[in-house]
Amino acid sequence: MIHYLIQDPPQDPPKWDGVPAPDIDQFGQFPKLASTFHDVDGLFYFTYAVCIFFFVLITGVLLYSVVAHRRKTWDQKPLSNVTHNTPLEVVWTLIPLVLVMIMFAWGFKGSLDMTVVPHEAHLNTYKATAKQWSWQFTYPDGTTSYDEVWVEAGKPVQFILESKDVLHAFYVPAMRVKRDVVPGRYQSAWFEPHFTKEFAEGEPREQTFHLFCAEYCGLDHSRMYAKVHVVDAETMAKTPWNLVPKPEDPIEDKIAYGKQFANAQCLSCHSTNGAPGVGPTWKGLFTKDADGNYVGRQRDVLEGGQKKTITVDDAYILESIKEPMKKLAAEFPNGGMSNFDSLKDDEARLACILAYIKSLADN
Amino acid sequence: MTTNTPAVATATPETQAPRETYLNCSSGFMSWAGTLDHKRIGIMYLVGVGIAFLAGGLFALLVRLHLWEPEGLLFSNLDYNQVFTLHGAFMVFLFVIPAIPGSIGNMVLPLMVGAKDVALPRLNLLSFYLWLTGAILATLAIVLGGFDTGWTFYAPYSLYTDKAVVTIGLAVFVLGFSSIFTGLNFIVTVHKLRAPGMTWFRMPLMVWALYSTSILQVLATPVLGITVLLVAFERLYHIGIFDPRLGGDPVLFEHFFWFYSHPAVYIMVLPAFGIISELVSVHSRKPLFGYKLIAFSSLAIAIISFLVWGHHMFTSGQSTYAMFAFSFLTFFVAIPTAIKEFSWVATVWKGSVALNSPMLYALAFLIIFAIGGLTGVILGTLNVNLHLHDTYFVVAHFHYVMMGSISLAFFAGLHHWWPKMFGKMYSETLAKIACLIIFVGFNMTFIPQFIMGSRGMPRRYATYVPEFEPFHQASTIGAIILGCGVALMVFYLLQSLLSGKKAKENQWGGVTLDWHTPTPPPHLNFDHEPKVVHEVYDYSTLDYESMQRDAT
Ligand code: HEC
Ligand SMILES: [Cu+2]
Ligand SMILES: [Cu+2]
Repeated sequence: MIHYLIQDPPQDPPKWDGVPAPDIDQFGQFPKLASTFHDVDGLFYFTYAVCIFFFVLITGVLLYSVVAHRRKTWDQKPLSNVTHNTPLEVVWTLIPLVLVMIMFAWGFKGSLDMTVVPHEAHLNTYKATAKQWSWQFTYPDGTTSYDEVWVEAGKPVQFILESKDVLHAFYVPAMRVKRDVVPGRYQSAWFEPHFTKEFAEGEPREQTFHLFCAEYCGLDHSRMYAKVHVVDAETMAKTPWNLVPKPEDPIEDKIAYGKQFANAQCLSCHSTNGAPGVGPTWKGLFTKDADGNYVGRQRDVLEGGQKKTITVDDAYILESIKEPMKKLAAEFPNGGMSNFDSLKDDEARLACILAYIKSLADN
Repeated sequence: MTTNTPAVATATPETQAPRETYLNCSSGFMSWAGTLDHKRIGIMYLVGVGIAFLAGGLFALLVRLHLWEPEGLLFSNLDYNQVFTLHGAFMVFLFVIPAIPGSIGNMVLPLMVGAKDVALPRLNLLSFYLWLTGAILATLAIVLGGFDTGWTFYAPYSLYTDKAVVTIGLAVFVLGFSSIFTGLNFIVTVHKLRAPGMTWFRMPLMVWALYSTSILQVLATPVLGITVLLVAFERLYHIGIFDPRLGGDPVLFEHFFWFYSHPAVYIMVLPAFGIISELVSVHSRKPLFGYKLIAFSSLAIAIISFLVWGHHMFTSGQSTYAMFAFSFLTFFVAIPTAIKEFSWVATVWKGSVALNSPMLYALAFLIIFAIGGLTGVILGTLNVNLHLHDTYFVVAHFHYVMMGSISLAFFAGLHHWWPKMFGKMYSETLAKIACLIIFVGFNMTFIPQFIMGSRGMPRRYATYVPEFEPFHQASTIGAIILGCGVALMVFYLLQSLLSGKKAKENQWGGVTLDWHTPTPPPHLNFDHEPKVVHEVYDYSTLDYESMQRDAT
């Protein structure tokens, strides 16, 4: 391809890879409406029809007179010398005036529906944080996901929009929703998502729509993309953005989940590359021996003020998470690790974190 | 002299030596570079804006070629962002705003009011040199690393990017003054230098349009100057007006910017209206339908256009009351605009319609402007705007207005007054072919963009989701066709200067004062002081004999 001569080949596949093109409505202009803002489509097509009417009228009269009244001899005089016609002028002022006033009123009403957030949506409030060039979503329960968001069909949802840097715009064409994301202030947008198609028996009730950044925000503006997954209540209950691999799942899934979780919750204090932080680095906690087994390092700890040397193993790691103050790493005599009470009985998540910490020894 | 008394007597003594015109009355570089003659300044503007248009058009072609593939054909995102910014900035600030007033306006306004020159010829020359300085600064900004903010310079991105924003800001500032001075000059000229008998309502509509434009230029442009200065200060001294990190408000920038840039839309389009008003009347040989209504609607547009800037910001989170007012007033501007379109069509109706090339360009304008204006109404409706804002629908809409309408009106005017300016005629056949190619290419470029836009394609995207590929490809092919049409036009216009037929004294049979002076006009415009005794557009006074006479 030519462009490799001039530019570098794109690094990653685009974020919209695999998202199907949206269905188009019967007039071919809009993606099928996936929210309740019917007025947008209704008014658009009404205005469109009015425009087509006037366009045909104007060009029709124009082309007719150009053909019928064209000059055939160089000194041909015009058929008429009329300079004005008051009734006609009044009519063609008033009719458009009435039409545009209808459009104005209808459009204003429609925009009120879109900007006034209903009560149910207030109860289901997400946060969308825009930063050059990705989207982060925070769910009502505080969990998060990146560049992908799950919303429940039929349940109004509000997004509080926040920017970390420059202007962006939150735009979901299928929902007809667009709102600028302005640094230094909060904006909000809401919609009630719906499916745009019927599902076959047994087919998962899930549809994915585009979310674009519509306000120019620099280099990768065009790649600032997120997927909006509309799912049913059943799928929603499984928190698909937050799926924890089970014990029998492959180890890679656990490592991947552990990494994602640690990124969000732990790596503000710990590092994986040996760099010092608020807590000890995770690098070197385990190493791999010739047979491929994980071997824990020797470590000095303080237990009840007593210094001793132990060998790091699964139990020590789990204990450090569940009861951080029990055995303190000797370099951090004052402790300082936050409590993760919710993790105490969450064996699945703990297993993933452990798998991830061990996997650091792999490379 | 026939029994028909022309509004102004023209006498062209038949002498052997070529008649002295403003083109041959003096020669040498300084006779042009230091000229105070509005006609020569007009020609210099024409060359300048012509080059700017070709440069902007080249950038446009690059943009369209890049978008051939979803992942982009030519550039990295960084380069693409610079190229589309260059396209916008060159077209808007160096071409569309100054094009018609600077070149055609300068050329014909004094002729039309029957003056020897504009009221302030030195200021006029200064305007041109300011334009030139702005153009040089803009080019310098490309050399100094380019700029990637879009032509709108939205804060805070324009404050953080490491590109040459201050330089291009300076260019815009200087260009603003060029525009203000031209406006000032035209206002004074219209008030002070009208020929005896030229009452306000005997002024050709081109003069009314330029007059309304000038008011806008003088009142609105300073706001743009202040805004770019503030951006420059913010970048250099971090004063915290627009930068949210310093407690500034980026939306304030949008308000300032559009407070200028919406009226600027009418600074660009009113002169185009003026040209079209002249052309439909002359080439239909019929007085303009609803003259006074058109004149007043120009003024009405000039005033209301100051009050609708917020319609560019419906998604920015302004208050519901602001949305209400801005949307309401926006629909109000639609009415005078519609009146104009209807009046033009009514002027053609039952006229003696000549299908020469200026008229073809004017007819193309009428059709394209109908689409541009009507889609504007769609965008004015509040809730629909929330979906369409910042998509290709908007891009297509304003190209129908800025490229399709304004540039086509500029071309129409150029073809209409070309024989007056140079005393030479271009090839009518080639002109008609080029007009057709441009019309087809233009619509093919932008109709797909309407569809993409309403389907959700955001603007300023270097890469895009694959379902839009066929539309982008159709649009790119259209742009190439359009480019060929423009190239053909440039070719035959230049060719006419070398080997064009001599133009007639009154090539199209106009009755306004600009056609009552020899072609091309002498240095001081009129051989005798013109005196207006007839109503404007009174074609019963048409001196058919003068139409047949060749220029001498
Ligand atoms: C607020 C900062 C902070 C956060 C957040 C934090 N830790 Fe810690 N962590 C510490 C500190 C300080 C220590 C050293 C004292 C101690 O052992 O309690 C530590 C120690 C540990 C140790 C023992 C390491 C060693 O070298 O002996 C493990 C394992 C650990 N943390 C896991 C986690 C996991 C898993 C998370 C996320 C769920 C987490 N930490 C989040 C601060 C933090
Ligand atoms: Cu963006
Ligand atoms: Cu506007």
